[in-house]
Amino acid sequence: MSLHVTFRVGNATYAVPAAQVLHLESYDTATHVPGAPAYVAGLVQVRGRLVPVVDLRVRFGLPAIEHSLDRRVVVVQNGTRVAGLLVDSAREVVQIDEAAYQKPPDIIEEQASGFVNGVATAAKRLFLLVDVPRIIGEELSHGE
Amino acid sequence: MSERVDLKEFIGGFVVEAEDLLATANACLLEIDTAISDGKSKPKAVRDLFRTLHTIKGLAGMVGVEPIMELAHALETLLRTADRAGGALQRGAVEVSLQAVRAIGERVRLVAEGRPVPAAPARLIEQINATDASSQTIEAPPEIGGEWDARLSASERQQVFLDVQRGVPAWTLVFVPSEDRAARGITIATVRTGLAAIGEIIKVAPRTQLDASGKQAGIKFEILLLSTAPAARLAEVIDADPATVVPIAVPVATAAASAEPVPELEPEREADISRIGRATVRVELDRLDELQDQLAAMIVSRFRLERELAAQHARGVDVRKLREVTDLQARQLRDLRRAILRVRMVRVAEVLEPLALLVRSVARTSHKEVRLELDVRDAELDKAVADRLLPALIHLVRNAVDHAIEPPDLRVAGGKPRVGTVRIACTELASKQLELMISDDGRGIDRDAVARRSHREILDNQQLLEVLATPGFSTRDAVTQTSGRGVGMDIVKRVAVQELGGELALDTQIGVGTTFTLKVPLTIAIVEVFSFECERQSFVVPVAAIEEIFELGDDRIEPPARPTAEANAKRVALVHRRGHALPLISLGARLAIDKGTVAKNALVIRHNGELIAFAIDRMLGRQEVVVRPVDDPLVRARGIAGATDLGDGRPTLVLDLMELGDLGERVGA
Repeated sequence: MSLHVTFRVGNATYAVPAAQVLHLESYDTATHVPGAPAYVAGLVQVRGRLVPVVDLRVRFGLPAIEHSLDRRVVVVQNGTRVAGLLVDSAREVVQIDEAAYQKPPDIIEEQASGFVNGVATAAKRLFLLVDVPRIIGEELSHGE
Repeated sequence: MSERVDLKEFIGGFVVEAEDLLATANACLLEIDTAISDGKSKPKAVRDLFRTLHTIKGLAGMVGVEPIMELAHALETLLRTADRAGGALQRGAVEVSLQAVRAIGERVRLVAEGRPVPAAPARLIEQINATDASSQTIEAPPEIGGEWDARLSASERQQVFLDVQRGVPAWTLVFVPSEDRAARGITIATVRTGLAAIGEIIKVAPRTQLDASGKQAGIKFEILLLSTAPAARLAEVIDADPATVVPIAVPVATAAASAEPVPELEPEREADISRIGRATVRVELDRLDELQDQLAAMIVSRFRLERELAAQHARGVDVRKLREVTDLQARQLRDLRRAILRVRMVRVAEVLEPLALLVRSVARTSHKEVRLELDVRDAELDKAVADRLLPALIHLVRNAVDHAIEPPDLRVAGGKPRVGTVRIACTELASKQLELMISDDGRGIDRDAVARRSHREILDNQQLLEVLATPGFSTRDAVTQTSGRGVGMDIVKRVAVQELGGELALDTQIGVGTTFTLKVPLTIAIVEVFSFECERQSFVVPVAAIEEIFELGDDRIEPPARPTAEANAKRVALVHRRGHALPLISLGARLAIDKGTVAKNALVIRHNGELIAFAIDRMLGRQEVVVRPVDDPLVRARGIAGATDLGDGRPTLVLDLMELGDLGERVGA
């Protein structure tokens, strides 16, 4: 069992291992970076650090939502890189047994499926485990 | 005067020197103060202080700042009296001297800012004049022997006597300068430096040499030195026969009062000579910045060379030999850059020097007993970082003494040592950052009290720090007195996080103490920029990149709009400027953020020798900012050189217009 931070994007609930999460931040706006991929909401400053933010709605191919106070930036660390995941809301931390992860069935969230590498049930609810390296475009950094 | 003197440069030199001297003065006063606490006297520090003030007075005279001269003079008189009486200062005299040095410091700063300097405070001058310098009039010190007795001041004799009693031999060395010696690099300056390294020079007396017929035949120096070094070593320094170097026999046990008048301590001309031997040079930061700008320009031209080389290579030209040279040059540039960075580094210990004085004065006014402990070893920091960091450290240390450390009685009652400790330690991190920890063993910060006062829930130290650093989270009322901290924490955070791009953390435990941890970069890139708006987004560009800024009128020729954004981004208009037609690129379109706003201004850059104008909405201002790299692959984009914080806590992009101009070039090609 290990702790996971869970968050919602669209109609599904996702999870990311708490060990990868640096902090949760409320979201107002990000500085648009011209020339960056469309799924990059922009740059924010979190505790003195410049953090690029990936809009998961855009990344998962979902329609944009109105500005909402519930939106959060889940700041994650992947190797030496730090990035923010912009989500609809993030409230809970749950214990999930890694052993209970299954390969995601093809039908779920077809757009997001490429960014999900497992499905687990905990407290009788279904969580999709997100693939952080893919979301933050780890392939971009190998492209040089 | 017939010629105009560049007063500004002159004043700059004065300020630099005066600040240096004031630091020395403060260090001397602290040394004297510590000695008094231990029941000792420090004749040498009193004498150094006297000379320092005399030099300040002289400098102030050169730039004509009367109030500084007056203050320095009054203090000088006080110290001369003290010196004559054997070099002991009373506590009250130290206090008054500190005030006077502070008053001088304030006036130096005003001079630096080009503002009018107020007269010396009459009350302070009166106080100085009324101060009884010495606590006791020491009996005239014992005789040393030889001619020295008549040539030394009382305090100098006192010092020689005390040191000889401690077993340090005193020597009279004679150095005779000659052309031959000068040719071998041995001069009075090198002798001074050499002797100062192995002992303490009490006096250097130049004397005229007479030949057999009594005529003047050159000059020699007699040097009174206290040193434990062997005679042979001393002889080597002064280039003399070791047999002639013998210690002088000072009568150790005598304390006979001498009735003869002691010569006055004269501000010594030698003080100026001694400066020649120093192995350091003071350089104004502006000049270093200039050097760095030049280096940056060189790096840019190297890239251009590299690009040309690649183009030649693509055309089938054999460029292997040339490439070897450019590779070598790249390494040399990197080394040069590193060397320049090293020049900018200052020792952290030196940066923290003023804090000892601060702790002392705050402890006094708040009736605390506090010791400042520094554990900074030989860490170094970019001068630009250090200058920005110091105000934050001052806030933290002042708060620690003023609010965190308990009054002595309370500490004793609580089972703590009577004297509180404020400790500053630092470590260099692998991430090219310096971690500074400012800790105290005071009362700790009461999280609940802060929560009640701020009406916010505080669950951890991070949240506590956020509340404390809220601008306007005020202090100085009863609640904060008990909650412990808060003065100016917004300033500390602004410096650490916004100005320096660092981090700030807090750890506190009730009754045990508080530690603030600051992580700051060892060096920062500070750039002067223009800020402006384009399509309602703010950007900045380095001032150095801009040739000209002008308002756009109607006199431009717009090409027809293209059907796609991509094609629009490559559109180039023409604008009339001083008889030339300049290519005008819409920055909004180039960045693909075009919302159809009518551009009112243009920024002109020189791009491969040609002028190009970028159309923007409006100018916002000009300021110095810290540029941080934007290097995550997610946000790495053409024309984005980095990001900065203009003070709103949000990143603002730094644009590289040269790179954006490149796109224009491709259009024509």
